[in-house]
Amino acid sequence: MIIAENLCKEFEKSYKEGKKTKKEKFLAVDHVSLTAKEGEIVGILGPNGAGKTTLLRMLGALMTPTEGQVMLADADGREITDNTKKKEAIGYLSGNTKLYPRFSIREYLTFLGEVYEYPKQEITERIEKIIDVLDMSAFADNRIEKLSTGQTQRASIARCLMADPMLYILDEPTLGLDILSADAIIRFMKEQKEKGKTVLYSTHYLEEAQVLCDRIYMICGGKIVAQGSPAQLMEQTNSSNLREAFHEIYKESIGEDNNEKA
Amino acid sequence: MKRLKTLIKKEIMDILRDKKTLIIMVVVPLLLYPTIMIGMSLIMSMVIQSQEEAVHTVAYEGSAADAEVVEALEALYAEHSEDLACELTFEQMKRNDEAQADVWLSVSAEEGENIKVEISYTSTNQDSNYAESAVTELLSYYKDDLLKEKLAGEGLTEEFLTPVEVESVDSASESESMGMSIGGSIGMMLIVTVLMGAFYPAVDVTTGEKERGTLETLLTLPVSNFQMIMSKYIAVALFACATAVLSLLALGGSVVFLMFAVSTELAAELQGISAATILSMVPVLLAAMVTVALLITAICMCFCVFAKSMKEANNYSTAVMLIIMFASMVGMIPTANLDYKTALIPIANTSLLIKQIAAQQFSFSLAAVTIAVNFAYSVIIIWILAKMYDSEDILFHDGFKNFQIFKKRSEFTKGTVPGTGDMIMSIVVLLLLVLYVGTAVTVRNPFGGVIVQQLLILAVPVVVVWYMKSDYKKLFSLQKPKKGTVLAGICLYVGAFSLEMALVGILTKLLPASAENVTASFEVLMDQPTILIVLVMALMPAVGEEIFFRGFLYGGLKHKYDVKWAVLISAIIFGAFHMSLVKLIPTAMLGACFAYIVYKSGSIYIGMTLHFINNAFLMLQMKEPDTFGKILPVLMKEEYAPLDMAGFVAVGVIGLAAGIVLMKKAENRKMQ
Repeated sequence: MIIAENLCKEFEKSYKEGKKTKKEKFLAVDHVSLTAKEGEIVGILGPNGAGKTTLLRMLGALMTPTEGQVMLADADGREITDNTKKKEAIGYLSGNTKLYPRFSIREYLTFLGEVYEYPKQEITERIEKIIDVLDMSAFADNRIEKLSTGQTQRASIARCLMADPMLYILDEPTLGLDILSADAIIRFMKEQKEKGKTVLYSTHYLEEAQVLCDRIYMICGGKIVAQGSPAQLMEQTNSSNLREAFHEIYKESIGEDNNEKA
Repeated sequence: MKRLKTLIKKEIMDILRDKKTLIIMVVVPLLLYPTIMIGMSLIMSMVIQSQEEAVHTVAYEGSAADAEVVEALEALYAEHSEDLACELTFEQMKRNDEAQADVWLSVSAEEGENIKVEISYTSTNQDSNYAESAVTELLSYYKDDLLKEKLAGEGLTEEFLTPVEVESVDSASESESMGMSIGGSIGMMLIVTVLMGAFYPAVDVTTGEKERGTLETLLTLPVSNFQMIMSKYIAVALFACATAVLSLLALGGSVVFLMFAVSTELAAELQGISAATILSMVPVLLAAMVTVALLITAICMCFCVFAKSMKEANNYSTAVMLIIMFASMVGMIPTANLDYKTALIPIANTSLLIKQIAAQQFSFSLAAVTIAVNFAYSVIIIWILAKMYDSEDILFHDGFKNFQIFKKRSEFTKGTVPGTGDMIMSIVVLLLLVLYVGTAVTVRNPFGGVIVQQLLILAVPVVVVWYMKSDYKKLFSLQKPKKGTVLAGICLYVGAFSLEMALVGILTKLLPASAENVTASFEVLMDQPTILIVLVMALMPAVGEEIFFRGFLYGGLKHKYDVKWAVLISAIIFGAFHMSLVKLIPTAMLGACFAYIVYKSGSIYIGMTLHFINNAFLMLQMKEPDTFGKILPVLMKEEYAPLDMAGFVAVGVIGLAAGIVLMKKAENRKMQ
């Protein structure tokens, strides 16, 4: 289980005003609170630049929040405080987490197993199993730089599986994948949910989110503008599908923003 | 610990799979040294041999005078041809055919006058040079013979002309002086190969990791940022050390090959070096190279961390390479030698040490200082590196805006503040300029050296600030002091000065050699007129050093860091810049005092004036002890009594306390 309370992240952006470059501080993530429980797939939706990636980075313990806190509890409900222990419990995957191009999948997984300090025997066993599950035996010994996009993404999933974490944070995992690879990823998320793991994921594919997510947080301008199950969100906005609901909520939040400014 | 090992293994594997890196690291040193050492010596002996074998033509027109001299020369040539550098043949020619000859001889002899011989040669033509020196040598024999004849005619002997015989004997063996002359360039070569061995892996594991997008993946692993950067550092350092060791092996191999395979005079000399000397040289050389490899790795990685892309890293690499190369070229300056001052300059010290080792006259204590100094610098830079790698700005974003100086001037907006990197670059550039230009002038004229040094200290920040379009008035604090701060500044200065005197008293006792060094370096300058001394030793430093240390460094640092760090760092650099162990802490203290005054008063002028008074006072005391010694006689003492010391400390504490209180008051008054 992961609970975020009032998370904020402040960045500095520079912009031009006439000839002078000015700097301004702004909140990329603005007082966000959210929860994701065991056996749940939680979706984070929002337009580009809404602060999704920054939010997920803070949840994944890659970034330190400027304000607020992230609490992570293990299977027995005890809080994990140590940063490295947190990272052990989280499988984090995003467009920015690429794999070492000069390694093969097998070598890379072995390296991970050594970092997670598994015994040697277990490392080989796990790798064989993962390669089997993700159907990667054909290219497990090729250098990662030679793999296709779909194969690479499967290798990334393999990376997360190696640690067998209790929480998955996946930043747009199906982006740019063909139907086969995307379906493999969706299947993977469902399997993890059935195993009682927590999955937090962001996506731009609303049809996918509508069927997959138990709950959804919509963020815009760093703030949460709506939350609930897909059905609830559609009901609130009188929409027949999540795509329409998204447009409604987005329009509203923009309007509010403009009112605030006025 | 186990995780660190796994990470290091991964970094090494990653680096090893990049062919480019391997080639530069292994192949370059293995080929470079044999090629340079053996190739050069072979080519040189071939060239010399061919020159010696060739017959050079000495042409003359054939007047009676010509014929007489040439006849004598031919006779002498038959006698001395063995000793000459080349073979000669004498030919009578028409003046028009001059081009066919290597040298042209024309003799004019008037009755009763000295014989005049004109040798026309072409200095740009090697053959012509050889022929000229051979003919000159023959002529000197001819001259001697004539002289002897004349003396005999007067009934005198040769000793008549040389009442004093002077003979200088070089105590350095040929191999020692050879070592001295090539040692400087060998040091540079070794350092540059280590740099190449370190730089590419350094770029690969930092910028490369960022560009390939694997850095964030690494961050998801349960390892601390410190483990991450240390594993990278250790992996790259291992490669740099491997390059260093390989280079030494290649160099050693080439030398051994030269000793046994090529029979030259050099080889004979090299064989004369005792085994004990070699045994003592090798570990020192190895330790020096390994520590310099550690340092270079740290420097390279510090630069690479800033680069967003490989392209940018390449831009930085040019700067890093130039700096390190310049520093390592110090060994090639004939007058530069390793002493306790130069041993403090990183990298340059290694180059100088290698020069001394090559000349077989190194001292173990200086070698130890060099190695320790480089090691200490490495630790400091690694600490900075670890700090930088803890920053989210570096890990996720464009990195710090620290090295702005590499941008084009048109890209700067007005009012840019120099970043930390810009300041480090400026310090390094200034140090190198002082080292090269300053030394070059000092050798000819010590006083001129001081002037040049002071001009450089002023010029570097002014040029940088102009280039970056900084707001120099704001950066240098060129503003009127706030009300009430002048008196407070004076109090602070009196306090700091007294404490400085007390400290100097203690340190002089602890480090007498270094103290004498300082006094001696001033005494050289004291034969100038008083007004010039005050101008150069007091006014120029007051302006230049204040602008550089309190304006540029402190002004830039306080934008990035807490004021106390800005004061402290600028003060330490100010102290270190005086390159003397005795002066380090006292000068740093004075620097901190001046920086604090700038902070509180908002003006550089108070510190500048006090700095001028401080230097002028010290200089006048030294130049005119009779007049100025009477003002504060206690300062003229050779050694301070305990009572004097207590007085200094008391005045120091009271002065500082009063200064701080007055500053606070001035601040409060302004607030109201």
